[in-house]
Amino acid sequence: MSTSGKTQLTSLFDNRLLSRVERMRLQPIRRLTNRSQGEHLAGKGGSSTDFADYRDYAAGDDMRYVDWNIFARLRRPYIKQFLHEEELHVAIMIDASSSMLFEEKLLRARQLAAAFSIMGLLNAERVSIYAMHQQEGQPSLISPGTGRSKIREVLTFLESIEGGGNVPVEDAIEQMLRFHRGRGIAILLSDFLTFSDLGRCMNLLFSSGLEIWGLQILGESEYAPDLQGDLRFVDSETGQTLDITNASELLNLYHGQREYQTEILHQQCRRRSGRFVSTLSNTPLESVLYDTLCRQGWILK
Amino acid sequence: MSWPSFSFPMGAWFFAVLIPVIIMYFLKLKRPRVEISSLALWQAVINDQRVNSPFQRFRRNLLLLLQLILLILIILALMQPFLSAGPETAEYLPILIDCSASMSARGDTDDTTRLDLAKEKARALIENLRGQGRIALFSFDTTGRRLTEFTDDQSRLLRALDKIKPSHRPGSLDEVLRMADAYSRSAPIERVVVITDGNLKESVDFELPFELSLQPVAAGGVNVGITEMNARRSDRESWEVFVRVSGSVGEVGDAELTLTMDDRVVGREQVSVSPDEPTERLVFTVDTPNTALLQAKLTFPGSKDSLDIDNSVWLSLPQPRSLKVRTSPDLYSWQHAFNVLEGIELDAAESPQVPEYDLIVSDSMDLAGIDAPILVYVGLVPDEISDLVSVAETEPGEEPTEVVVWEATSPLLQHVKLRQVQIAEKARYVSGADEAKLEDRGYEVLVHGANGPLLLQKRQGLRTEYFFLFHTDRSTLPYRLAFPILVSNATQAALKQASLSEVSAIPTGVLPPIAVEPERSFTVSRPDGDIQTLQSTPSGMLSGISADVVGKYEIEDSGDLVATLGTGTLNSMETSLRSVDDFKFNDLSVEVEESELVEGDQRFWRILAFLAFAFLLIEWWYFQRDKSGAVA
Repeated sequence: MSTSGKTQLTSLFDNRLLSRVERMRLQPIRRLTNRSQGEHLAGKGGSSTDFADYRDYAAGDDMRYVDWNIFARLRRPYIKQFLHEEELHVAIMIDASSSMLFEEKLLRARQLAAAFSIMGLLNAERVSIYAMHQQEGQPSLISPGTGRSKIREVLTFLESIEGGGNVPVEDAIEQMLRFHRGRGIAILLSDFLTFSDLGRCMNLLFSSGLEIWGLQILGESEYAPDLQGDLRFVDSETGQTLDITNASELLNLYHGQREYQTEILHQQCRRRSGRFVSTLSNTPLESVLYDTLCRQGWILK
Repeated sequence: MSWPSFSFPMGAWFFAVLIPVIIMYFLKLKRPRVEISSLALWQAVINDQRVNSPFQRFRRNLLLLLQLILLILIILALMQPFLSAGPETAEYLPILIDCSASMSARGDTDDTTRLDLAKEKARALIENLRGQGRIALFSFDTTGRRLTEFTDDQSRLLRALDKIKPSHRPGSLDEVLRMADAYSRSAPIERVVVITDGNLKESVDFELPFELSLQPVAAGGVNVGITEMNARRSDRESWEVFVRVSGSVGEVGDAELTLTMDDRVVGREQVSVSPDEPTERLVFTVDTPNTALLQAKLTFPGSKDSLDIDNSVWLSLPQPRSLKVRTSPDLYSWQHAFNVLEGIELDAAESPQVPEYDLIVSDSMDLAGIDAPILVYVGLVPDEISDLVSVAETEPGEEPTEVVVWEATSPLLQHVKLRQVQIAEKARYVSGADEAKLEDRGYEVLVHGANGPLLLQKRQGLRTEYFFLFHTDRSTLPYRLAFPILVSNATQAALKQASLSEVSAIPTGVLPPIAVEPERSFTVSRPDGDIQTLQSTPSGMLSGISADVVGKYEIEDSGDLVATLGTGTLNSMETSLRSVDDFKFNDLSVEVEESELVEGDQRFWRILAFLAFAFLLIEWWYFQRDKSGAVA
């Protein structure tokens, strides 16, 4: 999806998709928000203009919230409650290691990050983006910000992300947590191809008050490899090699192992009240946004 | 369990080829490098595979493994492995091959003889010769012949085997086993293989010092042959000829026997032999005043006969002449007895007239240079038994010696009654002597007195000597009826010995001595075309003529025909083609074991080659399947 015209706001996707994305908003499962005043309508008892519910009057309640129309009809005082507007952080982590360079996985990660960012920014969430490359080193990041004015900065940052590096996804998450403060959503855009168990970093995310949204992006060759004969695989990040004899015989095992890994990731996210979805890098972005994510309730149109 | 051996063990060097194959395999195994995003999943796959497939290491190098198995199978096939049939277990193995007359018998359906089958078995044994094994070939009929030394030279053994021809003589194990036994002193013989049709003498006078493996060959078809032929003079110019025809077990067809005299047919008879009457005796009358050669020949119009060599027999009829008898001048009683007999030319002069007689009766051990096949000594004790027997006159008043018992079956004593014959001499054993000791020295007691022998017999080849230990004139014997009968018996024995009254066909073996001119060279033309040259003795005898082939033998002196003789198989055992299943040896019996048939080595290089081909196909299929079954 190349959009290079001058009229396009970003090279990541075209304006038509952008305008649709602008009308969407993120839908977290839980209210993991900062108590500080924000614009995220988080629950009853707030001071926003959005009505939430009624409750019986209790002594000491602010008389300004008594619904006098109800009192006139029922001769009993009821207190009107309004939605609470709180600050919700949307921390987007992009795995920009070398493994993401295969089959435009990084591009898809940047596109999704852009979409999530726009949704967050336009809905007054505090959006921050972390691009992870090297195992040791500082991540590229864009600090938390909100509002339409931040969109240009975010898109520019996303367009400038270049892949490379050897950071595994668990290290990338830990690095992100060293810089991030604030409760909300942690959107993890990665292929999640790692030798390690992600349980620890998932716990860290959860304990940091972040709802985990794991979005696995795999290439077609990773999803359904077409291999045969004796091969020597070279890891793009570590340079390690692995000799495979008669690869075609192992494909069934590979598919089983991939499905197993996906299921494990899914469980790890769900146990921490999070979400997880796996998608292919060559799946159209609209399909991912409108079908996969909307249907699974990640975002609201 | 016997381990396989290899015909070409040097082929094991080809296993060295495995080393470069393995090296080349690992050198060749340059896998294509494929850069992938992460090894994480594939590492998990490999770990999973190792857990689920314990033979993963094996499978990883499946191609190498299949190639190595293929190569090993090919090399093993090249080494020509075999499971031995057993002869190599004995390092020295004598093989005795029966080539007697019955081994010429053909089968029912084809012309393969029993000897051909025996040769096949021997050939299998020779071809199985491996390692340190040595084989010596012997053939035998009546006698044994060593064909080769113990050798592992198969070509030499096979050449010797090919040269074995069937003989026309009966078979016997005795001599050839003794020959093999003689070799056991120089070579460690544990087992002797005898390949025979079993048509042998059942009783074998031999103590087995080794294991005997009797390997039978398949029985032939039915057979009819002449087993006996003789002639008895009926008068001076006439002979009665008797021919006995016998058949083998089984239904045999009709045959026709033709009797020819000097190539002229003198008689023809139909012969019918059946399992109920296995033999038939035919009688012909032949008139001839001169010497003649008879041939009896069986033909089989419309029926099959397995053995040809027993279908012809020759019989020489001698020219009639008087029996030459010589007696000592003082033996009047004997002279009187001979004088009344017909056809006797008696010489009782002081000095003998001719050097050869048919019968000599003497009262002296010194014969003055004359000789006869039958000798009767009267009143003499041979020097070689003088320490065993003593003869003395009876004392006055002493009872005369009487005969206690006599051998009535002896040719000399047939129909002779010696009871109440009184002898004025007493023969007695010296202390410690007995009949057994006499027999040890070759003397058989024909007449026993109360204290010792009275008449002894000694056989030396064709020569028979009788010893009256008492003088007949000092007994009542000449006055008894028994005496002329005894003289007549002696005359008949002499007539028979001189073939004047009765002649029998000569079986294959050695021709009887022939009276010819002394010290001359004679040629013998054999039936098989060979010429044998012999020298006659100073006494004018031509002896030792080998006649191992059935047929006519012509003896010539410088081109002049001197005599014509013929032979025949004349063995009812050989003609019957009967097989003995259980041979009686001195101390044990040995059965012919059908189960111990000689079998060839089990060679399985073809199986290995087939397996190699199968592995090749499996390898091809396996890797072809990979290509076609790859996940797209």
